[in-house]
Amino acid sequence: MYGFEALTFNIHGGYLEAIVRGYRSGLLTAADYNNLCQCETLDDIKMHLSATEYGPYLQNEPSPLHTTTIVEKCTLKLVDEYKHMLTQATEPLSTFLEYITYGHMIDNVVLIVTGTLHERDVQELLEKCHPLGMFDSIATLAVAQNMRELYRLVLVDTPLAPYFSECITSEDLDDMNIEIMRNTLYKAYLEDFYRFCQKIGGATAEIMSDLLSFEADRRAVNISINSIGTELTRDDRRKLYSNFGLLYPYGHEELAVCEDIDQVRGAMEKYPPYQAIFSKLSYGESQILDKAFYEEEVKRLCLAFEQQFHYGVFFAYMRLREQEIRNLMWISECVAQNQKSRVHDSVVFIF
Amino acid sequence: MDTYLILIDSLSSALRQGWLELASARHSMGASRVNSALFDLKSHHASTTLQVENAGMDIELPCFRLSKWASSDGPEKGAKLQEDELLQNKCDSPRLEHHEVQDTRDEGGVSSVTPNNHARKERFKSLSMFGTLVSPKLRATQLSFETALETLVEISNVRASLLRAYDQVQKDLNTTK
Repeated sequence: MYGFEALTFNIHGGYLEAIVRGYRSGLLTAADYNNLCQCETLDDIKMHLSATEYGPYLQNEPSPLHTTTIVEKCTLKLVDEYKHMLTQATEPLSTFLEYITYGHMIDNVVLIVTGTLHERDVQELLEKCHPLGMFDSIATLAVAQNMRELYRLVLVDTPLAPYFSECITSEDLDDMNIEIMRNTLYKAYLEDFYRFCQKIGGATAEIMSDLLSFEADRRAVNISINSIGTELTRDDRRKLYSNFGLLYPYGHEELAVCEDIDQVRGAMEKYPPYQAIFSKLSYGESQILDKAFYEEEVKRLCLAFEQQFHYGVFFAYMRLREQEIRNLMWISECVAQNQKSRVHDSVVFIF
Repeated sequence: MDTYLILIDSLSSALRQGWLELASARHSMGASRVNSALFDLKSHHASTTLQVENAGMDIELPCFRLSKWASSDGPEKGAKLQEDELLQNKCDSPRLEHHEVQDTRDEGGVSSVTPNNHARKERFKSLSMFGTLVSPKLRATQLSFETALETLVEISNVRASLLRAYDQVQKDLNTTK
């Protein structure tokens, strides 16, 4: 019953909620980002990060550093924190935490399948996979020729199995089929996660439905923009949108027929939460749309911490850390390429 | 000489722009979607080739010509030939109207040299190794590097004519002595 979580939440979730709130206090602040943005070299970035919680992960890295090394080590910290929480969690929190990683699992599956299609070495592909999305039989993905084999040989024993029912065909895997597979899987995953949160109920359902709806809407916008001028038909585009969210169903109908960014803007400006996002863009521009969406997402994720006794804080923390890692990646790239004037193009401050 | 220096400068800025846009595309799409492990190692035709002309007849002034989007055939060949003719004109007149090309690109968002469906399809095909639904940032990256390649070919032609002029002056000086 909503509003009575305070009576029972702490029995099983109190310790981990305290842990995740402690982790949250370790997120980089605006002062940290200002220091990082003034660095001249990647070694300077390493030196500034050594005073943060990333210090132990970067201290043994030899110079010269590479931007991918910084991202890799920062991601390892996130993975360690996640594993600590997962090992301590009981149901239903443990299932909730596992749901958070299914998106990375989908990305890894698509990476392996695409790389194999391009005749790349499996070991090389495994090194590029996100650690949060790894599972035991992932290397076996390389032997599948079509989606039916993909499902039968590997994915049937993974958490992604239920999401395959909508995209199993015997067609050989090619670039378009893989893209449709990726988006269909992600759509099914988001809908399943949404239903799971609704089943938990209470504050978790309320907060997570807002966060997942935003995610679904953002995906719909990105799919619409990215498919402009491609061979993806309107019907196929519509099928990739999730069946929930603020834009469902009327916004999706309009987005499905958009032929350029201005039509997308026209469809989105009818929804007040997204009107503010698109008002930041000039007509015909889409370059800063990602940053505008990230800023809105960060705002919503931070608000999740304002309430207690719900699982949304775990989801919010993971997403905020991922945003922080994206920020560090961007700052490192600008420093490495000697383009510090562009560093504020994509950095999203969390605090 | 001015043209040469302007071209070098525009090559440098096109490459800088391209690399930053690539980082921006990685930031937007995620590192798992934009990385070197996705490059296609299957054998396929080069989408763009470099042709050296006049190599046999006048080896002192080779003419470099870019033949873009050469992997398709059929009706698109007409569009490709039209594009090649435009590039040929650039080769024949080494004096580059750099700012005009830049302005035209800025107006339409794409290079004025390839404003047709064939080039667009071939561009999408080249990017398909990263997926068929890629961010506009990755497409902008592709255009930047395409511009850099065209500039590189123009630099080669201008350099060839500079070297020829230098050789001619040296020859005349030796003859005078």
